[in-house]
Amino acid sequence: MISLKINNIDVKGKEGDMILDVAKRYGIDIPHFCKNDRLERIGACRICVVEAKGQQKLIASCCTPIREGMEINTHSRRVMEARRTNMELLLANHDLNCVTCKKNLSCKLQRYAEEMMIDEITFSGDKRLYEVDHSSISIRRDNNKCILCGQCTRICNDIQTVNAIGIQNRGFHNKIAPPFGMNMHESACVNCGQCVIACPTGALTEKSDIQGVIDALRSDKFLIAQTAPSIRATLGECFGMPPGTPVTGKMVTALREAGFDKVFDTDLAADICIIEEATEFIKRFKENKDLPLITTCCPAWIKFGEQFFFEELHHMSSCRSPQAIMASLIKTYYAEKIGKKPEDIVLVDIMPCTAKKFEIKRPEFTGEADFVLTTVELGKLFKLLNVDFINLEESDFDNPLGESTGAAAIFGHTGGVMEAALRTAADWLTGEDLKEIDYKKIRSMDTLKEAELTIGGKQIKACVVHTLGEARRLLEQIRQGTCPYHFIEIMACYGGCIGGGGQPLPTDKERLIKRTKALIDEDEHKDIRKSHHNKSAIKLYKEYLGDFGGKKAHKLLHTEYYKRDYV
Amino acid sequence: MQILRKTELKAYKKAKKIGQKGVIEILSKKGLVGRGGAAFPTARKWQFAIDTKSDTKYVICNADEGEPGTFKDHLVLEKVPENVIEGIIIAAETIAAKQAYIYLRGEYEYLKPKIQKAISSVLKRSGSKVKIDIVVGAGAYVCGDETAIIKSIEGYRGQAYLKPPFPPVEGLWGKPTVINNVGTLANVPQAILFDDWDPHLRLFSLSGDVTKPGIYEFPMGVSLKKLIELGKPKNPVKAVYFGCFGGCMPYKEILLTPENVCGQNCVIGAGTIIVVDNTHSIVDMAETIAKFYAFESCGKCTPCREGSKRCLDLIAKIQSGKATKQDCDTLLDLALHIHETSLCGLGQTATNHLITALKYFREEFEQKCKLH
Repeated sequence: MISLKINNIDVKGKEGDMILDVAKRYGIDIPHFCKNDRLERIGACRICVVEAKGQQKLIASCCTPIREGMEINTHSRRVMEARRTNMELLLANHDLNCVTCKKNLSCKLQRYAEEMMIDEITFSGDKRLYEVDHSSISIRRDNNKCILCGQCTRICNDIQTVNAIGIQNRGFHNKIAPPFGMNMHESACVNCGQCVIACPTGALTEKSDIQGVIDALRSDKFLIAQTAPSIRATLGECFGMPPGTPVTGKMVTALREAGFDKVFDTDLAADICIIEEATEFIKRFKENKDLPLITTCCPAWIKFGEQFFFEELHHMSSCRSPQAIMASLIKTYYAEKIGKKPEDIVLVDIMPCTAKKFEIKRPEFTGEADFVLTTVELGKLFKLLNVDFINLEESDFDNPLGESTGAAAIFGHTGGVMEAALRTAADWLTGEDLKEIDYKKIRSMDTLKEAELTIGGKQIKACVVHTLGEARRLLEQIRQGTCPYHFIEIMACYGGCIGGGGQPLPTDKERLIKRTKALIDEDEHKDIRKSHHNKSAIKLYKEYLGDFGGKKAHKLLHTEYYKRDYV
Repeated sequence: MQILRKTELKAYKKAKKIGQKGVIEILSKKGLVGRGGAAFPTARKWQFAIDTKSDTKYVICNADEGEPGTFKDHLVLEKVPENVIEGIIIAAETIAAKQAYIYLRGEYEYLKPKIQKAISSVLKRSGSKVKIDIVVGAGAYVCGDETAIIKSIEGYRGQAYLKPPFPPVEGLWGKPTVINNVGTLANVPQAILFDDWDPHLRLFSLSGDVTKPGIYEFPMGVSLKKLIELGKPKNPVKAVYFGCFGGCMPYKEILLTPENVCGQNCVIGAGTIIVVDNTHSIVDMAETIAKFYAFESCGKCTPCREGSKRCLDLIAKIQSGKATKQDCDTLLDLALHIHETSLCGLGQTATNHLITALKYFREEFEQKCKLH
């Protein structure tokens, strides 16, 4: 243990702890922009500077390790002046259009400016001026609001290994952009939105579809919403509720109040997804062909695979994502059932994800889902319509597409899809109704997790990864023929969908764990916890889809992948 | 000049004979320190790399001489490139590196054939198996910083990063790396070979308002007046700049030691002396140097990226006659702020010239300001 003083208070920390982290534990949250616990600390924003007794210069507390006997002052006059000057330097080069900014009231730059009581900016002169990049279907990039903390590029390059954006030019002319003057649409961006949830300002935000949804709600079309598994565990945060508060019932009521005719649960489609994927897995496992099988619920991972690992794509499940399964069923089965033309139905997907906006625009899904709203956008829609969310009564999803199991609930966090698939695959391979269905080993926040089960003397090795850098390492193994697994789940976002690019901020690890717990609780409290026991799903197959993995199921529930060029 | 005495691979042969321990001992005893400006003992730097266990190690020769007014390495590379290469192979074999790089300043690219020839000749004659490649920089001043050199050679943006880990422990591609200045490496064989090698001799780059600019070799502690008189200034000298990063002082007699120069709030660095006579305005100097730093900031940290531009804006305002004395205060505060909070050596020294100019020549700034 190392003893030191912070603001004259005796504190202790471990060898290698940084000053900023120790101060946080003792209740001082030193302002910072470029620090992110998942990234290498670069000490670039210089907002976190503190004074250390005996040192001539101020030091960056985010990346200076504590030493025995240090005397740190986090808010001396000198420190506060330096911090304020750095804030003023950032603000002098910022468009300051707070009230018209999408991040108004959730922006870190704005928050610190208020906390530091900055009522005047000493510096004036040129500002960097850039055109807003609207080209991407998923992400809006406004460099006029960028403070160059570099979190987005480090997430994109170091964690996701996509390298869609980087820092360009020198000094004052620094900017973050895709290479060679390309826009976001032309870049290798996979739309995961991990940059969006890392951005402290309004420089990177989701591409908003709220206006389109409002127009649809005010038209004479039949409006349907589907909500993804993770939304119920995160939406409450948009209204100040503690992270991990389940708000399923309120969310359904609010959607009805907003004007949706029907509210369906993507969880049902998740159960169907498991039925199809488990069928596919068992077939491949028995034939020992094209293993490992990789899950394909995540549209960011799909684009990543299409770009960088096309030769390995036969490992991908042909099964659509739950979103696309539900969209397909609504525009075929359900449209027929209620006697409406598919084009008279407007389907709005409520998703945790910016990449889902891209997914519904894939040519093979034309005419299915009409809009994707992220969790953050749904929160904004409810606020726009002045829905008193916190005090709403609870209500249930509509039928016949509203019933789901515990297996579907956990789709929203890393490891959940694999856990759900293993529950079904193990039952089918043994022919029993197994009681041991908790795969706790794959529920953690580790980016690579393994599970093994032995059925009839045969071992199944499963693996769960999240973040695309981790996925890349696994795919390199597959490419070299050294991958030991039979079944793999890949999610692009850290933590899975609960950490998606459309989720409310902040998305630190503690929050992600609380959100995950909400989903696990939902699973544990369900009577039915296996996808193949979902009565509505079984009925659907009997009435409409035919056999599991059959011809009609393939037509409506499966898809194809294409080679994509990238720069 | 001592620096131009050729060693003709005799030092390499001696180094082979006395071995790793012998080389470290001799360099340490003779007191060779870095010639890049920081004056860190060379033997100690090498020892750090020796002590770090790794199957791969590197040596980098820092030939990115980018400090305005500095041209001593140019002379060495032009006149005695073989000595530098000999220094490189001694360094590499002492720390057990199989690969060395010469990071050559972009503007010195025309020296590449000459250096290449020296490499071939030295490797052939010595029989050393060390591989030496020349990497030509793209013209960024910050790449004179050792961590930025590493990033640049690795193919990334040439930007400084945080130390520790220091390069001798974790450097190029994460491997122990010794980075030495051209002048240091040229001195290595001389220090090993010549009994009369003088550790105190330094090269001074003299330029500015003098009629005989050039490289002068003197021991540390030489009289500033003597040095400048050798340059034969045409007009009365007003100020001396120690390069751009070292700051300025009013011209007067001092003995040029690091301590004495520090006493004038300046940094002697690599022995750069830019003379300014009474026909030039310090505000013009400030503007020129501030432009240089605004252009050369890599943009990684806030104070250097934004602050160097705002310094330039404030100087432009002073030049335009629209500024008030208040603006001079703001400029000084900002200059001190950049010095105090920047990430790397570039930012931390980028405003030394302003801090010292506003200390010693404030009236020149104020004369340009409005009266209130």
